[in-house]
Amino acid sequence: MAKGKPAVQTVRTKTTWANAFKRDWQLYLLLLVPVVLVVVFNYAAYPGLRMVFMDYKPAKGYEGSEWVGWETFIKVFNNKSFLESLRNSIVFNLLDLVLGFPIPVILALILNELRFPRFKKVTQTILYLPHFLSWAIVGSVAYQLFKPSTGVVNIILMNAGLIDEGIPFLTEKWHWAVTYELINVWQTMGWGTIIYLAAITGISGELYEAAMIDGAGRWKRMWHITLPGIKGTIVTLLIMNLGKVMNSNLERLQALGNTQVRDFQYQLAVYIYERGLNNGKFSEATAVGLFQSLVGLVLVLLSDKVAKMLGEEGLL
Amino acid sequence: MRKNILKKTLSVALVGAMAAGALSACGNDSATTTAAATEEATDAETEAGDETEAADETSGEDETSGGDVAAAEWEPFADNVTLTVPVYDRGIAGVPDVKDNYWTQWIQKNFGDKYNITVEFEPIPRTNQMQTYSNLAASQDLPTLCMEYDFPKLAQWANDGYLTSYDLEEFKSIAPTYYSKMEELGLLQYTTMNDETYFVLAERPYYNTNFNFINFVRMDWLEEVGYDHVPMTRDEYVDAMTKIQEAGISEHPGGGMMLSGNGADQNDGYRSLPLDETEWAMYGDFSIPALGWEPNYKLLKNANADYNAGITDPEYYITDQATSEANFVNGKNYQYGAYISADMPVLTSFYETNPDAKLAVIPADAATAETELYRTDNPFGMMIGFSSQATEDEIKAGMMYLEWMVQEDTLFTLRWGVEGETYNLNEEGLPVSVADYEGEYKQGNANNKDYFCCAVEAVNAGTVEQQIDSLFPNNLPQSDELKEQILEFYNTRVEQAEKGYGISPCLFSTVIEAEADEGTALTELYVSLRDELTMCSPDEFDAKYEEAAQGYLDAGYQAVIDERQEAYEAGNSTTLREDQKN
Repeated sequence: MAKGKPAVQTVRTKTTWANAFKRDWQLYLLLLVPVVLVVVFNYAAYPGLRMVFMDYKPAKGYEGSEWVGWETFIKVFNNKSFLESLRNSIVFNLLDLVLGFPIPVILALILNELRFPRFKKVTQTILYLPHFLSWAIVGSVAYQLFKPSTGVVNIILMNAGLIDEGIPFLTEKWHWAVTYELINVWQTMGWGTIIYLAAITGISGELYEAAMIDGAGRWKRMWHITLPGIKGTIVTLLIMNLGKVMNSNLERLQALGNTQVRDFQYQLAVYIYERGLNNGKFSEATAVGLFQSLVGLVLVLLSDKVAKMLGEEGLL
Repeated sequence: MRKNILKKTLSVALVGAMAAGALSACGNDSATTTAAATEEATDAETEAGDETEAADETSGEDETSGGDVAAAEWEPFADNVTLTVPVYDRGIAGVPDVKDNYWTQWIQKNFGDKYNITVEFEPIPRTNQMQTYSNLAASQDLPTLCMEYDFPKLAQWANDGYLTSYDLEEFKSIAPTYYSKMEELGLLQYTTMNDETYFVLAERPYYNTNFNFINFVRMDWLEEVGYDHVPMTRDEYVDAMTKIQEAGISEHPGGGMMLSGNGADQNDGYRSLPLDETEWAMYGDFSIPALGWEPNYKLLKNANADYNAGITDPEYYITDQATSEANFVNGKNYQYGAYISADMPVLTSFYETNPDAKLAVIPADAATAETELYRTDNPFGMMIGFSSQATEDEIKAGMMYLEWMVQEDTLFTLRWGVEGETYNLNEEGLPVSVADYEGEYKQGNANNKDYFCCAVEAVNAGTVEQQIDSLFPNNLPQSDELKEQILEFYNTRVEQAEKGYGISPCLFSTVIEAEADEGTALTELYVSLRDELTMCSPDEFDAKYEEAAQGYLDAGYQAVIDERQEAYEAGNSTTLREDQKN
């Protein structure tokens, strides 16, 4: 070690765990809460998974319930309704990904280019707002807007002479699929920009300055600096989102569903709720939940590997 | 330094609060609940003590402790026993907190305190009972008394180990009044499942006349299109609706609203006597609609015709109950059906919005479906079982509670409340509820029915005429006229019941496993198939019906009807009256 730099050396040796904890104990204390939450809700519940191999009866508990091995899985995978809900879940989650994933990236890039700070803040706030509305409210408003004959949108279109008959936005399955997806994009896009905007702030301003000196316009700067600067974040979020391809949101499905769109609305969350929870079939519900998680895990691992093969950092 | 201490204290407090908040839902909460409940109970006792005295003074009654016969022999428990009783939480605005209000405290004071029992109430969401009970069972928190109206639910609980069997002789000795009532009403036959005694059954007065559910129609509209009576046949109904449409009175007079799966589309009005008993046992159920059975076909065929004629609201399947009621109030719908009670806000609003309107009651013998047959209720009200997680003392306390509850003075006070506050005596000396009472004695839903339903479904005073008088609002422009029509409805129903027109659902004394496995999914599936059939073109109806019925059978209904048939043929079911079957 070169002489004349003892101060630096002293600082380095003193940054131990003990020192760090002593200095920032309040922060570690705060960290304790989410750690405990993860342990309690994500790991402590693991032993409960054994109910997938049982004909679990709540009143009999784990000890009293009969051990049935793989029977629950066989029953679930042979159930026509399950296969239907699986197909719908995969299709609609992939659509969510294809339609919903790029929009926040684009929106973040656009927001980043806004130069008038107050306008930028107001725009951001307006975009975030839908995230804070529950699906029950979104669903109720959506029906008021999109009912075939009494919905506001259809009334306006009909009065304007653009259509003769109300468009069944939410009451015919193909129209519903489009409306369902677009409402989701609207609800989630603003909130999704936050991480990208944070990542953008991490890009060195010097790069932009250098590019401007070299004569790069906004579009070029966005394409050659901003986008590559947040590529890592995009890949990480994409991998995480791929893990959710098997998930589905019951609230969203219930709030926007009706009997005429059951062919598409019947996704895994509905299957679990109707058959598993409402019917007291906890073993079946857990088996489907476990299946969803395992497929999600495999997808995350696979996509992580692909990302690394393509030279990205990946998630793990 | 001081700033540092403050910072540290705030940090710890913040983390503590976050941790407590985040983990508040974890673990078995019975200990904390009990502690909190004990505290509440202590407060409640003090308050309830004063209030009850006041209530007793005003009502002119001494002690309403009930259970005079058996209670004399009851000794208070040496150690305090906690009795948990379920109570429906119906989410109705303005109703007092179902687990802690004046009347729960009154029960504690007049029953619990006397026998060293802490009575706790477990709220059960009315639309989510089975899931709530499952969760309670899983956390070993089942209420001591498990109650529901539907026989198959109780059967499933018995089968799944929620309930413990009990000794009928022991029940008889602890709750003699309750037992005698069951015996007198012929309910003892329903107490068993798989040859074990599981159930206690509450009384349901007038179960075979159902006169408390009434359909009101727009008589002024009918008069406007030339009718001087309510349509009595299907043809008259369609004709009247068409004329109402043509006269521009209402675009879709039939209205309609989305169906809930359970109990939807009852088809008794499409059956005719004599009935085939095997078919009745297989299909004549209340909870799982019988798609594929002839009466259901006829019902949906009519629904399809009404939809295609524009009688039904084209958006009925996305219209909820509140909107449908609002449509009636706003003069869009022809008909409104409801349980009658002293306070009927929809009718009040209706007359406020349509002061010149005239309503009429659909007579009991109107055969707007096809026949005059109608569904009766079960011959009993609430079905009660004892939790398998309860101790012997808790079960005994449960039996004592039922006996105390069935006493006339207990029921009277719970039902009517406090004289001069929640009810007044009329000229005949009969109690009449104060419809819009707001105050400290405010009762729970439907005059505390959700508390006394474990003993009897309805507490009435006087003759049927007097009951209708007190059960129907007095402040409507047509109160007297409608009361008369309701009485006529009742009298017709009595005659119909004698003729065997009232059909009760078949009940099985063994568990129908397929019902437990597929029931919920089938009822959900039914609603979507039914709406599809209602809204298809009439030409396609038959083909679509056949296809839907096959899909329904394949989805599990076949297994349900097969198992029911097997149970029926093995003699494990109720039967039809002799004059009802062929």
